[in-house]
Amino acid sequence: MTTLAGPRRATHTTAHRLSFPHLLRSEAIKVLTLRSTWWSLGVTAAMSVGMSLLIALATSGMGGGMAPTNVILAPTQFTMLVAGILGAIVVTGEYSTGMIRSTLTAEPRRGAVLLAKALVVAVTMMLTAIVIYAVAIVLTSPFTSRGIDWASPLDSFVPLALGALSMACFTLMGVGFGFLLRSGAGAIAVTVGVLFVLPIVLSLFSIAGPEWMWIVESAKYLPVNAAGALTQPGGEDLLEPALTLAGWVVGPLALGWLALRSRDA
Amino acid sequence: MIVADNLTKRYGAKTAVDGVSFTVAPGRVTGFLGPNGAGKSTTMRMIVGLDRPTAGRVTVGGQDYRQLRSPLTEVGVLLDAKAVHTGRSARDHLRAMAATHGIGRQRVDEVIELTGIGSVAGKRAGGFSLGMGQRLGIAAALLGDPHTLILDEPVNGLDPEGVRWVRQFVRHLAAEGRTVLLSSHLMSEMSQTADHVIVLGRGRVLADAPLPELVRTWTTTTLLVRSPRLSELVAALEIPDATVSAVEPGAAQITGITPQSVGDIAAARGIPLYELSPRVGSLEDAYLALTDDAVEYKTKEIA
Repeated sequence: MTTLAGPRRATHTTAHRLSFPHLLRSEAIKVLTLRSTWWSLGVTAAMSVGMSLLIALATSGMGGGMAPTNVILAPTQFTMLVAGILGAIVVTGEYSTGMIRSTLTAEPRRGAVLLAKALVVAVTMMLTAIVIYAVAIVLTSPFTSRGIDWASPLDSFVPLALGALSMACFTLMGVGFGFLLRSGAGAIAVTVGVLFVLPIVLSLFSIAGPEWMWIVESAKYLPVNAAGALTQPGGEDLLEPALTLAGWVVGPLALGWLALRSRDA
Repeated sequence: MIVADNLTKRYGAKTAVDGVSFTVAPGRVTGFLGPNGAGKSTTMRMIVGLDRPTAGRVTVGGQDYRQLRSPLTEVGVLLDAKAVHTGRSARDHLRAMAATHGIGRQRVDEVIELTGIGSVAGKRAGGFSLGMGQRLGIAAALLGDPHTLILDEPVNGLDPEGVRWVRQFVRHLAAEGRTVLLSSHLMSEMSQTADHVIVLGRGRVLADAPLPELVRTWTTTTLLVRSPRLSELVAALEIPDATVSAVEPGAAQITGITPQSVGDIAAARGIPLYELSPRVGSLEDAYLALTDDAVEYKTKEIA
């Protein structure tokens, strides 16, 4: 702080304007310059590829084995948690550090902030999932008895694409809960609760009498089960699970938007 | 130009800002003073759209902050040094902030150099000292080369060199015709920086006046008179509204009379004067007199 005036632009330029593409770029810089992002993506990759390899090895002896896309997508059961947590901490990290105040003074239209952040983190997770699947397909190919039948899209591209999309959806759920609850611990607890704990709780009712079966049935409306149905190779009725998963994205994001819009930052 | 009109903020039963109206004019530095809890920070947060007023409104350059199309080039804001993600480096923080308005890397490097954080720009902001965090916050506020600067306690934690830099810098910006609103608890610093002062207390505007006028109104000028024949002199003054208090043998503080009168009377009577010095009140005296009843968190008098 030695020079007084310092280099300054001669006149006020109007070239610098707030715009949604600019905001996307800002959010991308923010997401990619945090270690927690790289940790989350790294853990997701290691877990996913590692488990796919184990499953491929374990099932290679069995004649038919598992559907080849399922070998790649099965680890989602666990990596979805990391995806949800990443979505939550990208938001709650801004609240716990006070960064949110800088973010909202740079872009006071809060809906745009939520939209940009959601898009960036969801796309980041989806691209990561695609890379992970590609690596897993290459690494597991020596151990699988039959490879992915790329000629049949319903047994190859479609489940894999929907798998990557599901990962983006889990991330968006976390983003929604993050904006709604603001606290890292709270948002992670709710995200993990919905993704991981609720399915277990609901499945416990299968040991109860038949009058409780509707609870077990309702488990198909949970995000993880909807994603599972969506990524079944050769799956036919994709509309219901697709709508279910979409609901789990739009619901938390809408609640998060309402909270962001109405509460003081 | 910042215009607040009947600005009010209530949190449940507590009224933090109570119908505040003021104008922060361009071309001068406006100081924002008040005890802790007086509502300064809440008012500043409402100016930049972070908190929604319960009633009233505030505009920057005639517009609601939330309607501004390029906020960073209109308003530079330092609310607290902690509005930075602790896991991100200073340079990446500034890059991300700049990117929202398409401001390039060159300007990021400029503000880094301007605020003297070049050597730590690559380090994560979480490890910054208070002063370094303050400099980073000021750097962020300057990114858009804004018309209006709102700085909440900018010199808090800065070293003397940084304090002087902030003072000279905001005076320079005001001289360029920009609007500067800054709060501080350092009265001596404020008295050197501000042209105009707005004092808040318990959520209300207690004073809104040019700094010299505020000091003149709220302090009394005293004369320190030293003379070997002091009692004779005091008796000769014969002024009913003058108050005299003895300081030490041969010296007294007198108010309510001009130094000219004392000098003339002493000369007429042949009384020697060893000292005749007017003591003008300080901004601190004025501030304490003003806010005496409005201090929410009062400390106990020592002894």
